[in-house]
Amino acid sequence: MKQHLGRQSGVQKVEVSLIDGKVDVTPKEDGQIDPAQLLKATYDSGVSVAEMDVNVRGKIVKDPSGNLALQISPSRSYQFAQNELSQGLESLSGSPTVVTLRGQLYKKPAGKKKPDTSQPLKLTVLQVQKKE
Amino acid sequence: MNIRKLSMLMLLGSMLAAPLAMAQITHVDMRVEGMT
Repeated sequence: MKQHLGRQSGVQKVEVSLIDGKVDVTPKEDGQIDPAQLLKATYDSGVSVAEMDVNVRGKIVKDPSGNLALQISPSRSYQFAQNELSQGLESLSGSPTVVTLRGQLYKKPAGKKKPDTSQPLKLTVLQVQKKE
Repeated sequence: MNIRKLSMLMLLGSMLAAPLAMAQITHVDMRVEGMT
């Protein structure tokens, strides 16, 4: 799995801890890493992902449907799953403020083995770390 | 003169692009099941 993930676009380093079932992925600075692709690659290597958390920096925007999202590149943004923390970021929508946060992009639904990659990943804010 | 205008435009452009250029995923961690 380590080699399989290491070959994915935008991945610099992969560390696997067999004891606690944790996989740490350090992205390259080119911003090309695709979490959905990582989920699929992990599943393809024979293990299932229970949770995927990310540390991410981006700008708060509203997508064309009016949903609050975190934009990390001109072509990539993640819609927020609504919670108290994401609602607190709404006032920054459209502002140049860059927000650093820790969030969850995937949690395995009970009983499901294969991740559903047909739906875009939603970002659940766990902690807002910085606004600059 | 043109070079000065061009430099100003480049400086302005880089200032506007900077916040988004800083935007990225800085770390990913996963909890996995079924690993041996």
